[in-house]
Amino acid sequence: MDLRAGDSWGMLACLCTVLWHLPAVPALNRTGDPGPGPSIQKTYDLTRYLEHQLRSLAGTYLNYLGPPFNEPDFNPPRLGAETLPRATVNLEVWRSLNDKLRLTQNYEAYSHLLCHLRGLDRQAAAAELRRSLAHFCTSLQGLLGSIAGVMAALGYPLPQTLPGTEPAWAPGPAHSDFLQKMDDFWLLKELQTWLWRSAKDFNRLKKKMQPPAAAVTLHLGTHGF
Amino acid sequence: MSAPWTRTLPALLLLLTAVCMGELLDPCGYIVPEAPVVRLGSNFTAVCVLLEKCMDYFHVNAAYIFWKTNHETVPRAQYTVLNRTAASVTFTDVGLLSTQLTCNVHAFGQIDQNVYGVRVLSGLPPEKPTNLSCIVNEEKRMTCQWDPGRETHLDTNFTLKSEWATDKFPDCKTERGSPTACTVEYQAVYFVNMEVWVEARNALGVATSEHMNFDPVDKVKPVPPRNVSVSSSEELSSILKLTWVNPSINKFISLKYDIQYRARGTAAWTQIPLEDTASTRSSFTVQDLRPFTEYVFRLRCMKEDGQGFWSDWSEEARGTTYEDRPSKAPSFWYKVEPAPAHGSRLVQLMWKTLPPFEANGKILDYQVTLTRWKSRSQNYTVRDTKLTVNLTSDRYTATLTARNLVGTSDAAVLTIPACDFAATRPVRDLKAFPKDNRLWVEWSAPREPVSKYILEWCALSDKAPCVPDWQQEDGSVRRAHLTGRLAESTCYLITVTPVYSDGPGAAEAVRAYLKQAPPSSGPVVRTKKVGKNEAVLAWDQLPVDEQNGFIRNYTIFYKTSAGNETAVNVDSSHTEYTLSSLTSDTLYMVRMAAYTDEGGKYGPEFTFTTPKFAQGEIEAIVVPVCLAFLLLTLLGVLLCFNKRDLIKKHIWPTVPDPSKSHIAQWSPHTPPRHNFSSKDQMFSDGALTDLSVVEIEASDPKPLPEELKALELFRKEKLSTGGHSSGIGGSSCMSSRQSLSSGDEAEAASAQSAASAVQYSTVVHSGYRHQVPSVQVFSRSESTQPLLDCEERPDELPPPPPPPGEGADPPPRQQYFQQSPGPAGEDPVGPGQPPAFREVPAAQGPGERLETGGLEAALGLDEGPPKSYLPQTVRPGGYMPQ
Repeated sequence: MDLRAGDSWGMLACLCTVLWHLPAVPALNRTGDPGPGPSIQKTYDLTRYLEHQLRSLAGTYLNYLGPPFNEPDFNPPRLGAETLPRATVNLEVWRSLNDKLRLTQNYEAYSHLLCHLRGLDRQAAAAELRRSLAHFCTSLQGLLGSIAGVMAALGYPLPQTLPGTEPAWAPGPAHSDFLQKMDDFWLLKELQTWLWRSAKDFNRLKKKMQPPAAAVTLHLGTHGF
Repeated sequence: MSAPWTRTLPALLLLLTAVCMGELLDPCGYIVPEAPVVRLGSNFTAVCVLLEKCMDYFHVNAAYIFWKTNHETVPRAQYTVLNRTAASVTFTDVGLLSTQLTCNVHAFGQIDQNVYGVRVLSGLPPEKPTNLSCIVNEEKRMTCQWDPGRETHLDTNFTLKSEWATDKFPDCKTERGSPTACTVEYQAVYFVNMEVWVEARNALGVATSEHMNFDPVDKVKPVPPRNVSVSSSEELSSILKLTWVNPSINKFISLKYDIQYRARGTAAWTQIPLEDTASTRSSFTVQDLRPFTEYVFRLRCMKEDGQGFWSDWSEEARGTTYEDRPSKAPSFWYKVEPAPAHGSRLVQLMWKTLPPFEANGKILDYQVTLTRWKSRSQNYTVRDTKLTVNLTSDRYTATLTARNLVGTSDAAVLTIPACDFAATRPVRDLKAFPKDNRLWVEWSAPREPVSKYILEWCALSDKAPCVPDWQQEDGSVRRAHLTGRLAESTCYLITVTPVYSDGPGAAEAVRAYLKQAPPSSGPVVRTKKVGKNEAVLAWDQLPVDEQNGFIRNYTIFYKTSAGNETAVNVDSSHTEYTLSSLTSDTLYMVRMAAYTDEGGKYGPEFTFTTPKFAQGEIEAIVVPVCLAFLLLTLLGVLLCFNKRDLIKKHIWPTVPDPSKSHIAQWSPHTPPRHNFSSKDQMFSDGALTDLSVVEIEASDPKPLPEELKALELFRKEKLSTGGHSSGIGGSSCMSSRQSLSSGDEAEAASAQSAASAVQYSTVVHSGYRHQVPSVQVFSRSESTQPLLDCEERPDELPPPPPPPGEGADPPPRQQYFQQSPGPAGEDPVGPGQPPAFREVPAAQGPGERLETGGLEAALGLDEGPPKSYLPQTVRPGGYMPQ
């Protein structure tokens, strides 16, 4: 009873506040919109979370692949991984990327990587590993959705994945077992690089988005006057 | 139970029908609907359809259908015949949860035949689940729970549904046992919002909860921090550093912490302010701790922004702060023991070990310094907590410090006064009372400033000596509780001594109990004295060990064997009591109870009997009775004496003695007789003539001087000459004298007798002297009866009886002379005289004279001597033969 009374008082107070500010806030529906800021922050946190997941997953998977892939100083040349999107980019180029392009590159990259990862999942024999891979895939799926959400919030269209370029993963018979493992190695490595890059991308976006959000508020405030 | 029955019922009916029909395997009809589920309180209609072949066989149609629910026939009012083969039944407001409904027919118009049966279930559609909440246990799956709403009475499935904006997650179906919670199969993905809701579904409907949209990371319950360790600092004894390892979730979310600690042995946790630990960290330094104290720590964490749940508490970690110098001087006191030699004394200094929170470390030893007035001090290092020193009778100052690894405590100073010091200034209003299972002591401070108080106490017992324990309290303290282990039902003697700067003050003592109990035994009562109506009861005070409390009062119960019990309350200060108003000669039973504040205890029963008579009562009765008896006897005897004559007259009337009878000579020769008398006097001792007169006057109460007696003699003789006679008395007396005189003067006596014998007798008419009687002198003896003589004077028998009329008179005369030196003159009633003779003077009374009769030869007495005198001289020899 007390709680309800408290709630009703709280609601009443809230209502009063809203009514008081009503003349000063003509664009009420726009203040309720959280904007892309929180979702960018969330996407950034998610990349870090995925990074953390991948670290443990990669360790497990590389051990599963066995030597030399699980050796710390194993650094093979990038062979047979041409289909994987490259995360590395010239710093100047990266800096000059606009938000839409930056988000689009991220979205496309993770779409490809996810597709490859699912193939990895199908291959894996160990149940625990499969569970980890499945969870990582789900998380990556969440990242994709998150990026899509940010893009939608910023009003950018989602990139159209062309049917031809749809990365249909198929176990190539030409691949030797070692080369296959090499692909898996590079997939994980490229994923990690992309997660690092994405963290940077979203951190940059986050910083970029905060002042405009403040400006909007300020603008609304001035508009009210 | 009922569900399998529901299922087997149609089969049974089928079998039954088949058996009855002999060949039919199909049922005779069926009910629509087959498995009805009805909402509680709603209407329900079932239709029974008969098959044609059965109708023909049993000669029935739909009108023959009747319904039963749970073996009870449904009233026909609820039936509706739809057509020839089908009839329905309608129930309104279905209330039963499970009903067995059967369709029956009257086969051949009279045999009840089962056709078909169904089980009607009723219940409610599910309510919308509420209060949906989810928790994501780190490293585990997400679990959600909700309130399922009202009871539906039906099988209701709850399904937890979850989805992303882009994807759906697999449904989570609850298990039968727990329809209010479900744990999803997938691992929730942090930082991606998901939507969760619950769907409840049963045969009567579907209900869906509110959708809940959240980021799983905001519902997370982290794993508690691990590897918690505690380290101390040598520089600061008041701090401990707590370090731990954060859960792995800390790699992508920030945490805040909740740290608690407590000193070992205490139960309450101390909370470190949450704002001090509101950000991610892996160590924390706890301050303001006590030195050399072990502390226990625990902590938990949650997402920094407060969304989600606190983790479980970590494992407890222990650490001990570093030592510090003792923060307080030990309690310090002394006691003087009996001195071994004169001029010195043994003083035992004693102190208490510091409690850990004051010792602040391990106490290594104690330093004691003793300073005599203006002389060098002596130092001692002691590991024990007491030190016995031999001191002179002077005043000393003792100081005590405790030392640990880090430093030395402040000094406790104690002044040991000189031997002749008289302690004064005690505390005032000392009292002790139990409270909260502790024994408190309270006092008022003396007027002078007190440096500290010493509380000493010991258990009082008859069996064990008083071994005191003690404690010290600050000078500002006015009340304190005894810190030692105290027993209940034990009397404690508590002493409070104020200690001044110049030495201890006078001690005050009080007794108290931590908790009183009824006495262990009751007082043994006994009688001190039992009276007829009262008894004095006495008892001893109970021993201290048996009192178990302050004896507040006694109650004495006493009763007779038949009567009611009477109770008397007696103040505890008494040890005896007098029961009054008791009934005499009665058995009383007495028992006695002693009461403390907590109750009483009866002593053994004691009986006593009150005596029939009070002490001295018998004596008081017997003695007066005896005395009265004695008095009565005496009175009787006196009376007998007084009334002797009367008695005598009645019993043995006086018979005149013929031997003494003579004719009185009334003649004018009286003067010669006087001469005779004087002759007589001359004859005998001249001085003694008067005494012979006294003898005659024996009855006269007043002894007279001799001259007077002489006069009296004259008077009497005149009287006797006037016809008066005290004759018989005189004669008697003379006779008696004669008898007493025995044979000494036998010769003289015989001479007198011979002289008197001349005249036989003189008869004097008894009469009043005024009537001068004519005295007839008989010359003959009237009687010579010796018997009478014997009778009258038995004691005269031995001497040979004188001749009648002679022997009587002369001897008395003679006897007078003889007896004159004796007491006869003084004591007229001589012991040797028989009472009869003593009466004679009394009979001299005028009234009696007549009665006794002039016949008496009283005159003869008077006359006798002169008469007898003559013959004596004449014929002494005549009597010789006598």
